[in-house]
Amino acid sequence: MYSIETKSLTKSFGDLVAVNDISFSVKQGEIFGFLGPNGAGKSTTMMIFTTLLKPTSGKAMIAGFDVMKDAKHVRENIGFVQQETTVDEYLTGRENLLLQAKLNHIPKNEINKRIDEVLDLIELSDKQDQAVVTYSGGMRKRLDIAGGLLHHPKVLFLDEPTVGLDIQTRRKIWQYIKKIHIEFEMTIFVTTHYMEEADNLCDRIGIIDGGKIQVIDSPQNMKNALGNEIISLVVEDNNNHDSFLVELKKIEFIKKINQDDSKLILFTSNGTEVIPKIFQISSDLGIKIITISLTQPTLDDVFISYTGHEIRDDKSKFNRKIEHAKMKRLRA
Amino acid sequence: MNSVMYDTYTIFWRELKRYKKSRSGVLIRLIQPAIWIIVVGNIFSETQPLIQSVGFEGEYIEFMAPGVIILTAIFTSIFGGVNTLWDRRYGFMNKALTSPISRSAIALGKMSAISLIAALQASLIIGIALAIGVTFPNPLMIIPIMGIVILFSLGFSGISVTLAATAKSQETFWGMINLLGMPLFMLSPALFPLELLPDWLAVVAKLNPVTYTVLLVRELMTGVSEGGIPILISVGIIFAFVVAMVAIASYVFTREVNKPF
Repeated sequence: MYSIETKSLTKSFGDLVAVNDISFSVKQGEIFGFLGPNGAGKSTTMMIFTTLLKPTSGKAMIAGFDVMKDAKHVRENIGFVQQETTVDEYLTGRENLLLQAKLNHIPKNEINKRIDEVLDLIELSDKQDQAVVTYSGGMRKRLDIAGGLLHHPKVLFLDEPTVGLDIQTRRKIWQYIKKIHIEFEMTIFVTTHYMEEADNLCDRIGIIDGGKIQVIDSPQNMKNALGNEIISLVVEDNNNHDSFLVELKKIEFIKKINQDDSKLILFTSNGTEVIPKIFQISSDLGIKIITISLTQPTLDDVFISYTGHEIRDDKSKFNRKIEHAKMKRLRA
Repeated sequence: MNSVMYDTYTIFWRELKRYKKSRSGVLIRLIQPAIWIIVVGNIFSETQPLIQSVGFEGEYIEFMAPGVIILTAIFTSIFGGVNTLWDRRYGFMNKALTSPISRSAIALGKMSAISLIAALQASLIIGIALAIGVTFPNPLMIIPIMGIVILFSLGFSGISVTLAATAKSQETFWGMINLLGMPLFMLSPALFPLELLPDWLAVVAKLNPVTYTVLLVRELMTGVSEGGIPILISVGIIFAFVVAMVAIASYVFTREVNKPF
C-alpha cells in the first residue's frame, strides 16, 4: 500500500517547468524526504500533493485518492504544516488548536481529548492558555505541527519544518517528529534543504534538482554508493594532470572522481590504504600534492555527486528563471 | 449544507476571536466616525435652514447622525476584507484550503464576521451620538436599525472580500477601497438632503445602495420620511444589493483562492 504515488507529474508556469515528469511512490508509514535547493520544485510538488495547485499533467494519488478528482478526500486525510508558522498570534495555544480541530471536522465530543493528547505530545500543556505571541519560534513551530496532527491524518506533509530555527531547536523538532511518527504511525513527507535534517529524519530521500528527481534511496545507501570515505586533495598545476587522473582511476577502491580545477575529490573505500598509493603515483609523475584530507561522506557530498553543484548554489540559471517568474506573478 | 453552516461558523468564530483580542483596533476604527459626527456635526450646524427646507425640523447633528452610523458601517466593513490578504500571505488561507472545509464557507464566515463587527462599531457610534445629545424619539427603533446596519454591512463586506480576493497586493486593495468608499458615502444623502444635489448627481445617488440605507435609518431614527421612497422599497433594494454582493464575493473568492498567490 502506497501513501503517495505519482506518475509523470508535471507542473509548468507558462514556459517554466517547475516540476518535470516525476514519478515515485512512498510506502505507508515511511518518512520520506524531498531534498533540494530553493527553486528545485519541492514546494510546487508539495502544493500539488496538498491540493493547493493542480498539476499540468500526470497523476498524483495521496492516501489512495486522486488530487485532481477527489481533492476533498485528500484533504480529509492529510495534515499540512507549512514552512512559515501559521498560528494566530493573538489566540492562545489551545484556541489555535481548537480552530484547527474545527477546520478539520473533528467530532465535538472528541475535540478536547485530541487537543490534550497533542499538547501533551509536544509538551506545551503548561503554556496552552498563553497567547502565542509570547511563544518562542520553536514553540510556535511545535504548536503548528501539533495542529497538523489533531485529525490523525494518514499523511503528514512538513514543508521545511526547521527553517529559520537555531540548531538546538532544530534537533528538538526532529525529536518531536520522530516521536509523532512512532505514536501515530503515519506517513510523513518532508521537504528540506538541510542535509542533516534529511539524514537524521528520513527513511528514504529523493534528491530533486531542476524539477527532476535525480535519485531516490535511503541516506545510508546513498552514502555507501559513494564508498565510505572521501579523499580531497589539491595538487599543483602540472601538464601531467591527465595522466595523474588516469592512474588514480586504476586504484581499485576509488569509485568516483570529481574534479574542480586543481581540487580532486575521490569517493573511495579503504581510504587509509589509498592515500599511500596516491603519494606513490604523484611522486612517480612528479606532481606536487599541496593538501590532502580524508573524511566520511555526508549527504552534501551525495548531493554534489548527483547534481554537480552544491545545495546552496543559488547561482544556477534555472533558479533565476523561477524567481523571475515568481516576481512576475506577484506583480500581475 | 449543514457542513457549510458549521464551516462558516468556524471562520466566523475565528474572525471574531481576532477582533476581540485587538482592543486597540476597536478604538482606532471609532476615531474617524467620531470625528465626523463631533466636528462636522457641529461645524455644519448652521446649515439647519437648508435641511429645514426639505422638511427636517431637528438639529443638523440629528440629521447627519444616521449618515455617520452608515459611514461607520461602510468603512468598517469595506476595510474588513483586508485580512484575506494577510491570511494568504501568512499561510492561514493555505491551512484552511488544505482542510476539508468548503471554500465558500471561508468567504461567508469572513463576511458574516465583518458585518457583525461593523454593526458593533456602529452601535458604539450610536452611543457617542446619544452622548453628544442626539435623541431617539422611539428608543425601540434601535433594533430594526441594527438589523439594517448588519444587513447593509454584509453587502459591503462582500465588496471588500471580492476586492481582497482579486487584489494581489495591499496597495491594490487599499487603492480600490479608497476609490470606492468615499464616493459611495458622499454620493448619498448622508450629510445633505438628496434634494440639494444637482439633478445629474441625484440620479447617480439613486443608483447607490448607501442612499436607501441612509434614508431608511434616518426615517427610523427621526421619523422624517425624505425623498418619498417607501420603506419596503428601500428594504427590498438593500436586500437585493446584499444578496448580489454575497453571491459575487463567494464566487470570486472561491475562484481566486485556487490560484497561486
